[in-house]
Amino acid sequence: MNPDSLFPSCSLDARRQARAALDNIFLPLQAVVRRIIPENPLVKTYTLDLADELSNSRFSFAPGQFMMVSMPHLGEAPISFSSPPGNRGFDLTIRNSGRLTAAVHSLAPGDLIGVRGPYGRAFPAELAEKELLVVAGGIGMAPLRPVIEQALARPERANKLRILYGSRTPDDFCFRRDFRRWQEQGARLLLTVDRGDPSWDGPVGLVTGLLDQVELNPETDLALICGPELMIRAVIRVLVDLGLPPERIFTTMERQMKCGVGLCGHCHHENHLVCVDGPVFRSDEIAELWR
Amino acid sequence: MHDALILHRDHFLPLLRRLSRDHRLVGPVRNRQGDTLYTEITDLDRVEIDLEKQPLNSLKSFFFPQREVLASTLVDRSPGTGELMISFHPECPPEIPTLYFGVRSCDLFAVLYMDAIFLGGRFRDPYYEQRRRRALFLTLGCTRPFAHCFCNATDNGPFLEFGFDLQLTALDGDEIFFVETGKAGGRKLVRDLAPYFSPADDDHRNRQFQAALEARGLFRQMVPVQLACSLLRDQPEPTRLLAELSRRCQDCGGCAYICPTCTCFTIEDRKLDEESGERIRTWDACTFAGFTRMAGEHNPVSSERQRIRRRFLHKLKTDVARHGRPSCVGCGRCVDTCFGGVDIITFINSLTEAADPDHQP
Repeated sequence: MNPDSLFPSCSLDARRQARAALDNIFLPLQAVVRRIIPENPLVKTYTLDLADELSNSRFSFAPGQFMMVSMPHLGEAPISFSSPPGNRGFDLTIRNSGRLTAAVHSLAPGDLIGVRGPYGRAFPAELAEKELLVVAGGIGMAPLRPVIEQALARPERANKLRILYGSRTPDDFCFRRDFRRWQEQGARLLLTVDRGDPSWDGPVGLVTGLLDQVELNPETDLALICGPELMIRAVIRVLVDLGLPPERIFTTMERQMKCGVGLCGHCHHENHLVCVDGPVFRSDEIAELWR
Repeated sequence: MHDALILHRDHFLPLLRRLSRDHRLVGPVRNRQGDTLYTEITDLDRVEIDLEKQPLNSLKSFFFPQREVLASTLVDRSPGTGELMISFHPECPPEIPTLYFGVRSCDLFAVLYMDAIFLGGRFRDPYYEQRRRRALFLTLGCTRPFAHCFCNATDNGPFLEFGFDLQLTALDGDEIFFVETGKAGGRKLVRDLAPYFSPADDDHRNRQFQAALEARGLFRQMVPVQLACSLLRDQPEPTRLLAELSRRCQDCGGCAYICPTCTCFTIEDRKLDEESGERIRTWDACTFAGFTRMAGEHNPVSSERQRIRRRFLHKLKTDVARHGRPSCVGCGRCVDTCFGGVDIITFINSLTEAADPDHQP
């Protein structure tokens, strides 16, 4: 199907803007919302295509990278990719937590949204071939999901994948629709919540409490962590105490960003600019965060 | 050694007049309130050029304005389908050949630093690049450093060794300028306008050497910048000092705005009416509480204890690691601006006094 015929009104304009954006890092491209999946009362996942078909067909990214997302007159925010690369379009998982994201949450399929990117340092490409331990908290699962999907695409590695996922309540987990498939494909998935409800018969407590239920192999394991910064610190500390070398623990950081390309200065963390030096860091690169 | 020439004081204004035919001129001008500022000059005969006082501003705003429109936005619905259409129209500045004259060493060095930030990374800033591309710099070596200057300690003054097109040194009671040619633009300038200049002889060279040496002895501030940098690199962070100074910071942002090397900015999308808006860039300051605050009110920086941490550590630690030297250029402007007494000289002196066992108060 020719997408130009679906969006006759914006195709020419989208092409012109795609050209302008090549020379000017501050100009967004328009993307079309194809599908919206509610994850929990505050979080939705958006499947987007760039409105300019040529740009869309050439668009590529790597897990861990992010897009600067914008709505007219409401500014921009960095949002990580939550789908694996290789498909048409891409997913962004967005929590309703301010003016911009509230406006994003009012969108319907077919609406337009502004995007710049992809930006930032991705997870190392060879990660999917390693024996992975994924530790996520809340919406922190979003940037890790592409790596999980890539790892599950290699059946010989899939049964080494361990996923520990904590959320505030049973209703707050994101990507619940994926859980059964992940397990069927060989991943070990353990869930925990801060606060249970009558339907919940799983563990209640911090995600670090799940660590003694999985086998850790400090020789071969690689850990990926994302969630609230306090959780990230706690998990890195525990993993290091359990003998995992900091060089084999990766996390992805969140900061205020205005440009996304290393110029505006907002996302500083010690000697790093999170937008270009990260957002993915090896834990020894940000040792001051957790030591 | 750079090629050297002599420019008589009497030829200075005629030279500027000649250059104004094909260049926009920016230089230090004394205004009616008696303040000296780098100013765009449209009529050389109607301004008072001041090569004596340190300009209150730096050249920052000429390349990176305090506020600029990056693009205008149009939001519309397609008449046929009712689809929303959003378009951005960039407002890139024109490339204007500009001669910056009377530029102090610190201020040119700050431009070189801005080049590293805006043009030296993976992503180039197209707005900065347009303004920067055709700039010529005629700098003025400082034979008489000002009250708060410490560019000798930051190692980028009072005379420059590179970066300028022409560097002038006033000699003989300011009767003549000793002119060193630096970059290609300067060499072309003296070649094209040879009649304005005369050759310098060994005597001139000796007197320039003498003036430059004497200037180094005239600094009133002794600021141990290098010691501060090594302490910040090697020692535990001075958290108590940073917390003390943070409490005195009044969060005005003046230090960042006046600083020639503070380049942090914010971008705001502003609505003009239902159909149109602007994407605007303005200077920002890392001392502001909102600088790092994210949606949901989470802020990784404590404004009470760490407000000024980023500013000093960025200049004296992060940039030393990233660029091989501190990004403070020793101009002393923040000393005049800060009414909380939290300027960089205070920080460096407090840090090094506490750490230096040989220090005699």
